[in-house]
Amino acid sequence: MSNAGPHGPPVLQFQNTVKDYGSKRIGPVDLSIGKGEIMGFLGPNGSGKTTCIRLMLGLVRPSSGNVRVNGYDPISKHVEALDHVAYSPELPNIQTFLTPTELLSLVLHELGFQADKDAEIKRVLELVGLIEYRDTKVGKLSKGMVQRLSVAQALIGDPELLILDEPMLGLDPAGSAHFREVFREFAVGGKGTVFMSSHMMNEVESLCTSVSIIHSGRILFRGSSSEVVRKVLDYSVVTVEAQGLQQETLNSIKEISNVSEVRINNQIVEIIVRGHDDIRPAVSDLIVKSGAKLYTIKTADNMLERAYIEALKKNGVDR
Amino acid sequence: MQRAIAKRKILALLAFTILLDTFPYYALSTATNGTGLIPLAAYPYIWVAGVFGLQPLFLNFTAILIAAGAMSEEYEQGTAELLLSKPVRRNDYFAGKFLGGFILFLIILAFNILLSVGSALAFFGPQASLEILPGLFIVQAFSSLIFYSLAFMLGELVRRSSLAYIFSSAIFFASFIISGYLGFIYTLTGKEFYRTVQIYLPTSPANSLPVQYASPLLPQTVGIVLRFVGEDNTIVPTIALSVAILLAYTLVAIGVAAGYFWYADISRRMG
Repeated sequence: MSNAGPHGPPVLQFQNTVKDYGSKRIGPVDLSIGKGEIMGFLGPNGSGKTTCIRLMLGLVRPSSGNVRVNGYDPISKHVEALDHVAYSPELPNIQTFLTPTELLSLVLHELGFQADKDAEIKRVLELVGLIEYRDTKVGKLSKGMVQRLSVAQALIGDPELLILDEPMLGLDPAGSAHFREVFREFAVGGKGTVFMSSHMMNEVESLCTSVSIIHSGRILFRGSSSEVVRKVLDYSVVTVEAQGLQQETLNSIKEISNVSEVRINNQIVEIIVRGHDDIRPAVSDLIVKSGAKLYTIKTADNMLERAYIEALKKNGVDR
Repeated sequence: MQRAIAKRKILALLAFTILLDTFPYYALSTATNGTGLIPLAAYPYIWVAGVFGLQPLFLNFTAILIAAGAMSEEYEQGTAELLLSKPVRRNDYFAGKFLGGFILFLIILAFNILLSVGSALAFFGPQASLEILPGLFIVQAFSSLIFYSLAFMLGELVRRSSLAYIFSSAIFFASFIISGYLGFIYTLTGKEFYRTVQIYLPTSPANSLPVQYASPLLPQTVGIVLRFVGEDNTIVPTIALSVAILLAYTLVAIGVAAGYFWYADISRRMG
């Protein structure tokens, strides 16, 4: 398992970090995240995701080992470590009698933001789609809107590192898609770094440049989505959407080297391949030659989810 | 501050202050008319009744109500986690919570003094010796620090507002009751031990110091009013000892709270 961040010097670093709660022990964790990375942090409930986030934020002390944020210890050098670091918690703790404008104004005050505060608040509220609710009390906002506001208070100012705990929780599909773009835009060009804990595999797979799977306080796998899939799974899945496929063509696909199974699921053909050889050129060739109309051919969307479930199974978690 | 003021309990405290500082004066004015309960010579100092009468119970208890929730409510609501995940120094946060709550207490204290004087003026005519009020305000604030700090410390240690209120109130009422009990035993037996223990209980300096400060600055007539509200007897023998005991309790409580806050993990939101 590689601990080096692929994007330059580490912004976040765990070095043999252990947090011992007495009844439960998290770690040792070794993990580094480089600038510009969008890391998805995956793990079942109670696996240590939130503890790792709280260690990064200096909210809990490691029992041994150390944590560095921007090169500083977040406990003893809290301000230096968390300068330009923003956090959006899983269940936002926002006072219900405040309005979004008041909350963001308070956050800017805490951050010592010197530029035009009104313009910054407007920019962020527009970014998260809450501009129409700027003067509505938080208590009157829906769960999804409060989640948007939680992300807004993280994005405001000039953050360089976003630490997000389940940021898509409670969002509708359009909201999730919008936030994916917001986070991608934030990290574009290696300018910002995102560390995101999530249970939503499709969000992580489509957004994150790297993935870490944690279980029982230990990092099991780390790498890009495809690397993690390759490490965990000894098979791959190719899906085909085509019209006019004959049984004969399906039989020919089965004959391709390493293909172990071909099955049809809701008019989508799933081809299970031993290993990770790319069989798409061979399959598309066969389909086109058969005269069928090929609409799509791709690696299955949920490979990371399969890998995640498999990784947990291998470590004794039967979900 | 904005959040604290918004809390209903603060509004309730203010309402209670208004009630305690107006109705008794009205009731007293109707009762004293021609009854001789309070001599006419004491009328210009009747403000003392409201200012001193509330210290033993209401002001100390108000300090507890504010301080016990200052830290613990932030943990319960999760705002401590949210604020401390920003580049904010823990020392600044701690000082902000302590001072923010105490400023709120000072506002209630000032409100209490002003209302007492205003009511005395309204029901008993012009009041005298009001020039000692600024000094008295500071002394009462200092005296209240003892229970403010103890409650603040307990709020940080238990991180549950309900438990902090219960423990702080238990200490306060236990001290109050035990002090009276020890004083009674001392009167009966004359044994110095009971008196000494009574002196070092937290309620003793908290209630003695304002009277010790004001008594030499007020005419003897005031003694009648003080006796009327049960504040004529100071338990701690000297001002210096009162200050020393108050400081010792306050500094130890703040030190324990600060040490625990610095070294313990920040609790996640509860209940």
